[in-house]
Order: sequence, then C-alpha cells, then structure tokens
Amino acid sequence: MRIELKGLEHAYSKTDKALDGVDLVLEGSEPVAIIGQNGAGKTTLVKHFNGILRPTGGSVEINGVDINTRSTAEWSREVGYVFQNPDDQLFLESVRKEFEFGPRQIGMDADTIARRVNEVAELTGLSKKLDVHPFDLTPTEKKFCTIGAVIMMDPAAVIFDEPTCGQDRSGNARLKTIIERLRGQGKLCITISHDMKFVTANFSRVIVMCHGTVLLDGSVNEVFAQTDILRRSFITPPPITRVAQGAGLKETVFTVPAFINAITKERNHHG
Amino acid sequence: MPHHMPAMNTTVIGRLNPITKIVAVFSLGLSALAWPDFTLGLIVVALLFVVSFMAHIQKDFAKIMFGFGIPVTVMLMFIQGMYSPKNKTVLLDLGFSQLCLEGVLYAAKVVVSLLVFLGSFYIMNKTTYVGSMVAALTAVGLNAKVGYLVLASLNVVPQMQRRMAVIQEAQSARGLDATGGMLSRIKAYIPLLGPVVLSSLTDAQERGMTLETRGFGITGVRQTSYVKVDWNTMDTVANWVLGIVLLAVVVVSILMRIGVIPMLITWGGV
Repeated sequence: MRIELKGLEHAYSKTDKALDGVDLVLEGSEPVAIIGQNGAGKTTLVKHFNGILRPTGGSVEINGVDINTRSTAEWSREVGYVFQNPDDQLFLESVRKEFEFGPRQIGMDADTIARRVNEVAELTGLSKKLDVHPFDLTPTEKKFCTIGAVIMMDPAAVIFDEPTCGQDRSGNARLKTIIERLRGQGKLCITISHDMKFVTANFSRVIVMCHGTVLLDGSVNEVFAQTDILRRSFITPPPITRVAQGAGLKETVFTVPAFINAITKERNHHG
Repeated sequence: MPHHMPAMNTTVIGRLNPITKIVAVFSLGLSALAWPDFTLGLIVVALLFVVSFMAHIQKDFAKIMFGFGIPVTVMLMFIQGMYSPKNKTVLLDLGFSQLCLEGVLYAAKVVVSLLVFLGSFYIMNKTTYVGSMVAALTAVGLNAKVGYLVLASLNVVPQMQRRMAVIQEAQSARGLDATGGMLSRIKAYIPLLGPVVLSSLTDAQERGMTLETRGFGITGVRQTSYVKVDWNTMDTVANWVLGIVLLAVVVVSILMRIGVIPMLITWGGV
C-alpha cells in the first residue's frame, strides 16, 4: 500500500482552507500517527485517503491510482476508515450484522465472512457479544464494534480517527494488539490521536500537523526531540519525556524503564 | 469536518428585529389574501425579489420561488381554469376542455398569495439566526419553554441533515455505494433512517436533561437571554408601515367588495 499526496489542498469554503499544500508519502506497514491541535487539518487530511473528501487542489494517489477515478465505496476495499463517533456508523441490529455488512458490500464470499467474523470478534473482544444490539454495547465496545466492522473488510490500509477517545487501560491494550496484528499482516495503519502516551508506545512514525500543513514528519524519537516546534504547535510530549528533556538527557525517552536506562548510561559515561 | 454556525446576515434585512420580520410575513401575506384580485400579491412578490437582493440571497430565493411557483401555477391553472364552477368566459378551447378567465384569475390569486407567504417566510428564515428569533419572542413575553420548543423544532432539520451527511460518509466508507442509479440511491438511504431518527431522539432527550441541570425549569425567575436582539428606529418604522399597509388594504378590499370602490379587475370569483 502506498498513499502519495502531492500539494494536497482542501478548502471547505473560499475563506477556509483546511489543507494548504500537503506533500506526503505513506508506505509499507509501519504504523503512522498523525498529531496536532484541534483544527490542524488531521481529519480533513485522512478523509482524502478513501475519497470521502476530494482534493480542491493537488492530488492523492493510492497505489498510483488517482483518488478521483473511483467512489469512496469502491475505495473501501483498499482503505478502511473508522470514524471518530461510533454512533454515526452503527445501524444494524446486531454486532454480527455490523461485521458482515461491509464484506458483503464488497462481495466477499460467505465462508470467508463466517471465518473472519470469529477472528475479528476475538481480536476486538466481542466474541460473546456477537448477537447483542450495538445500542446495548458500552461506549468502549461500540468503538471496537466499528473497528471490527472495518477490519472485517480486510483493507490494505486502516485509518483510525481518535481510537483512544473514551478508552480505558484495557481498551488501549486491545488497540495496541490490533495495531500490532495489522502491522504483522502487512497492513498500513494510520491513526489520528491526541493521546501522546499512546502515540509514543505504538507508532514508529509521527506526523505533526499545524494550520493545514505538515510541520514535522519523522520517527517518533526525531519528532519528540523537537521541543520548540512541538511547543509552537501546542503538543505536549508525555510527562516522562518532558522530565528527561528538562533534566537535559540527550536521549528522547517515552517510558520509565527507558528513562532509567538513559540515566544509568549517562552516569556510567561520566563516571 | 468543522460545522460552522450559519453566518450572520449583516445586510439591512438581516439586521431587522425578528419580530419585525414575523410582522412582515403576516402583514404582507394577509394583505395579499384580503385583496380581491392577484394584482397586489404580484406587486408584493416583485417587492420580495427586491428584498432578497438587499439581503444577498437572491439566487436561493429565486430558486425557491420558481421551483415552487411554476409547478403550482401550472397545476392550479389547469384545475381552476378548466373546472372551476365560476367559469363563464372562455379564453381557449382545447377540445377536451375549455380554459376560462374566472378560474385562471382565481388560480393566479391563490398562487401569488402562497408565494407571498412562502417568499416572506423564506427571507425571514434565511436572514434570521434562530437563536435571536427565539430571544426576541421570549423578550415580548413568549414562554421560555415554548421558545425552546420553537428553537428545537427549527433546528431539528439542519441537525438531521448534518448527521445524515456524516452517516452517509461512514456508510460509503464501508462499501455502500450511493452514487449509482436511482435504485441504489434509495437502497442506500433506507439504512440511514434508523440511526438518524434514533439519534435525534436520544439527542433531544439529552438536551432536555442538560437544560434541566442548568436550571431551565426554575419557576418564578425572569430569565435573561445570552443573545442580544436590537430594536432600532428602522424596526419601529417598518412595523408602523406594515401595520398601516395591512389596515389600508383590508379597508380598501372591504370597500371594493361591497361596491363602494370599483374593482380593478371584474371577475366572477371572490
């Protein structure tokens, strides 16, 4: 899977340019996180990856094919999109039907669907809830129901818009498993998130957006080392990272063990 | 996607007090109805086009007026012109039926009256922020709860439309094609209805509860409004003019009907 943006622009109205010239290549199966303050253009950007929004300037190519040549429904086999609000997506009377809906639309055969329902239900923790009405699920389960419904379609790339919103610890752990599984299957996972701890723990590549442009794009270590630029785009690194930076550690760390490790190393170096 | 508040209409028309606009809808509409023939209504419709220019909404206004006006005119001309019991004067012999003057005049009056109501209501709706309309109504003594009811019911349609658009995006992202022919469009719409209706019901309930927690139901307190609505000299003038016009039209119409003043167009109908 390769998504290539060239000078992508999107204007909701004449005065309101949400994207102002974005050049980007998303490739392979390395999970990508997109961060930035509200209104930076993150959702507008990812809505171009399956043609929900169409460029008002520049171009979007999926595996070398211009986005405008197909409808969103046709792109849905290649690019899955999990929306922010589960209530906008669930409309059938059971989790099972939600899971089966997408694959049926794209013509997946019944045997494959049946097999995948069990796999995906296990992955999303909904094995015992397959016959429950989505409205009776907890908000966390609803979110996983929408994630499952998209993974069911077996797209080559999956987009998550704020998957950690309203998730507890076990929900975040499950998301981690899902992201790792997708990576293992060679799928490209693109995630919008405000949760910096979640971002640093799960993503190797981070893209920072600000005012409709890409401000930073690189490995998680590179990006979070740019303290000045991050501050200007109102992004706060995880607490332990800030402590390490404040204490003048050279290495950018994201976890307590990494922090201890870095301190030990510097001490040994000095001693 | 950001959902913007409708931009405030800052034209002369947009700045009028909502009460003035409501008075205008009734005054103009009732005048057109009271007048014995279609001439006054036609003049008012022409004036409304001028007003829509002043409010910078002429394009949408023309779309509504012609979109509604043309089919209704054709239909009423056909029905009244050919089959009204008052028909006497034959204008056109079509063979299977005859088009007569009395019915045509009657149809013309019904159409222009409808257009006056529709057009003035449309201009009011397009140039008034619903919040300030309700604030103005509560300021002149409308019960706050009734005001909320008005607000909620006027808001429900755009809200549903916005929601519908989001749900549609989510569904096409799951392979539901709504771009094909008529049949696939209808098929794509059916699954939308469930979540749209259900979620608007739960939304309404939630909003009701939120209002309660903010003391909306407290009795014996005079509630103030966050939305400030101005009453300018223009509003006073407009209200006087609209009132006098309505009164004059009613008086002249009565005099015409009892025969004190000769009618402009003599015809069989009322």
